[in-house]
Amino acid sequence: MNRFINFYLLSYSVGSLKREKYKNIFVFLVMSLLVALLASTFFLSNAMKSEYNTLIDTYPDIVLQNQKAGVNSTIASSIADKVLLLDGVQNSEARVYGSYYFNRADRKLNIVGINMFAPSLSPFINILMKKYSLDDGQMLVSRGAKALLSKYYYKEYFNFVKSDGSLKKMQIVGTFQENNKLPQPNTLVMLKSDARKIFDYKEGEARDIAIDVANADEVAFIARKIEQLYPSMKVILKEDLRVKYENIYNLRSGFFLTIFIIAFFTFFIIIYDKLSGLNSEKRREIGVLKAIGWRVGDVLNAKLYEGAILSLSAYLTGIFLAFVYVYLLDAPLLKNIFLNNYNLLKNYTINFSVDYETLALLFFLSVPIYIAATVIPSWKIATLDADEVMR
Amino acid sequence: MHTFKIIFILSTFVSSLLFGNSSYSQAIKEKKIYPMGKLIHTKHCAALDAKKYGNYDVLLRDIQEKHICSKLSAKHSEALAIYLWDKKNSVEDIPKITVTKEDKCPVCGMYLHYYPNWVARITYSKEEVYSFDGIKDMLKFYFNNEKGIKSVWVQDYYTLRTLDAKKAFYVIGSDVLGPMGNELIAFATLKSAKNFSLEHKGKKVFPFNKLTEKMVRSIE
Amino acid sequence: MIELLNVSKEYEGGVKALDGITLSFGEGEVVVLKGMSGSGKSSMLSLIAGLSKPTEGEVIVDTKHISKLADHFATGFRRENIGMIFQKYNLIADLSVKENILLPLVPLNLKGGELEKRLSKELKQFNLLDKKDTQVKKLSGGEQQRCAIARANINNPKIILADEPTANLDEKLSLEFIESLREMKSEKRTIIISTHDPLFFDLDFVDRVIEVRHGKVL
Repeated sequence: MNRFINFYLLSYSVGSLKREKYKNIFVFLVMSLLVALLASTFFLSNAMKSEYNTLIDTYPDIVLQNQKAGVNSTIASSIADKVLLLDGVQNSEARVYGSYYFNRADRKLNIVGINMFAPSLSPFINILMKKYSLDDGQMLVSRGAKALLSKYYYKEYFNFVKSDGSLKKMQIVGTFQENNKLPQPNTLVMLKSDARKIFDYKEGEARDIAIDVANADEVAFIARKIEQLYPSMKVILKEDLRVKYENIYNLRSGFFLTIFIIAFFTFFIIIYDKLSGLNSEKRREIGVLKAIGWRVGDVLNAKLYEGAILSLSAYLTGIFLAFVYVYLLDAPLLKNIFLNNYNLLKNYTINFSVDYETLALLFFLSVPIYIAATVIPSWKIATLDADEVMR
Repeated sequence: MHTFKIIFILSTFVSSLLFGNSSYSQAIKEKKIYPMGKLIHTKHCAALDAKKYGNYDVLLRDIQEKHICSKLSAKHSEALAIYLWDKKNSVEDIPKITVTKEDKCPVCGMYLHYYPNWVARITYSKEEVYSFDGIKDMLKFYFNNEKGIKSVWVQDYYTLRTLDAKKAFYVIGSDVLGPMGNELIAFATLKSAKNFSLEHKGKKVFPFNKLTEKMVRSIE
Repeated sequence: MIELLNVSKEYEGGVKALDGITLSFGEGEVVVLKGMSGSGKSSMLSLIAGLSKPTEGEVIVDTKHISKLADHFATGFRRENIGMIFQKYNLIADLSVKENILLPLVPLNLKGGELEKRLSKELKQFNLLDKKDTQVKKLSGGEQQRCAIARANINNPKIILADEPTANLDEKLSLEFIESLREMKSEKRTIIISTHDPLFFDLDFVDRVIEVRHGKVL
């Protein structure tokens, strides 16, 4: 260790830092905060990206929707069977789902309709229905929904109000736990026939057709085929959704850009200050050091230690703060900025992961640059003839 | 001539009795009926073995009326019956071809885990297994190392199921490109191969035994 | 030990500080360079120390042609062999006595507590033990002087160069300084002092007094 780090030189560098205590503390704080801010932004954005990617993976490859007057309208369930016949289509489902407004609680209940034993295109539902069976008039509720309904004294059943004013009673036969593959809170699962009654769908009507294609290479081709088969309908591709949300979290978006610009300018000011040369006292000091036998390399080493101590400690502190803020405190404020506009993810808790790319990026953007800014002015002085400096 | 026709019609009729479920196309069966039947079987009566039954209708009746597999609706009973009957004598599904992160194609050296849908495989023994990043490369190897081959596998383009290469059909000259560019695309049935060929501008469709090394070289 | 061969030093603006000087100094000799400010004696010390290079001629110290050495090697030579005492001491005001004294040894990264050993020796020799952690700017004139000498001494140099060491001192401190010099002579170091202080012109332990005027030796 002694061969690589000269501890005497190190203590000299620490002493140098201490001699300008307040200025260096200020720089340390500013740098730490900048690193913390940028790191938090990166961590959060990357975490959300991977979350929504996981979520979008569970979506069907293609969704077919009917539109009337530019607004989504119901679609014939029989289309699902027709589409199933196309080469390459692995599964298709006429989906019946939607939200029901529970007015006393001022909340929406999300209803998902299923057919027993028909493999759903939603992996969450498939796993759920392995455990349970549903009959007419029965429904499963998520934990959140159960709590909500119980609060309004609906413990064993719930009455839906149909469009004609009559009631439809549904028995609660089981409760399930939500996870990040089921983003909607307050979810109820029931037979499609019951869901149709609640939503006033006729038999043979569905909200949309979900389609899964076995070979990802064929999806675009099949989507075009479907567009030609049903030219008045809207075809939505999962991969298009992914690109759309990708762009939202894309670092070019306004919010990120603002943060980066601010961080860049602040850092630039610090670097500019360091680079704008040394005052006469510091120059004299370097001259003295040269005179008493310090080589240029020694002077630069001392400056290197000085710059490294400050920037490394600021970097590490910033990263630490970012970790605490994002993963322990769950990123208050920042998270809302992300989620408010782009609420694909509602039930969101941030999972811990180490984002090496961000760590490396921030390191190389801060530490070497600061060290260079510390060393370079001294280099210019140290290479002059020492006695000229001392005069 | 006439007798021939009558015998033909009679035999199809008889066979439709024996396989009384042929009112569904094979496509619908594969995609809808079998998955449904399998779900029911796994969930409610995994122990039920159709091999005991010699007659489809008896099986269906037992399911529907004797509730040997819990109480099911007509539609579900039928799905279960068809599934069990059709799958009764068939071998288990061939397992999907999987590759590790280290697997490389011996012909071109590319890492295979980037293109899992295109992998083709030749097996000589349990230890000697070669995987390729496309049927073209697999055939290049095949035509020069035919001795001692135990089995050759390819993946159906539409369903990604593993197929015995010797029983599959191949489309050459289509606009669908694999990791090595122009490729032979494999299908389980001649019908799906022809459909694909029409839709994707394929030039020709061949069964395995008609493929030659010269053909493979001409695809580059 | 030290030889200047036809050395000239010219600064920017045409100022010729030294003009064709040839001198030599023996080992262990104590020499006083006498002359007014600007006569060139400081430049001479600077050349001997390897802090600057002559415009013409050669400087040889301990058989090494230091005027030809690159800065890296000249500095290396300096730290092994030369101790410098400056007119204004050139101590680093905010650092402590101890930190100032051991400054020449810091880049050497000596092992096994060697640096601490030498430090104690110097502190004792110059009576600065009780002040070792005090900031230099808080010391009295005499203490600063002793600190500067200790710093020049700590690397056991063969040659001590003192540039106008008493210019800012009163008589008492000047005499104390001369006493310290006498001690150093007994350690067999070659000592060259450039000064215009008359106190130095007539000392018993001084071997030679060389007068320098307008860049030439008289």
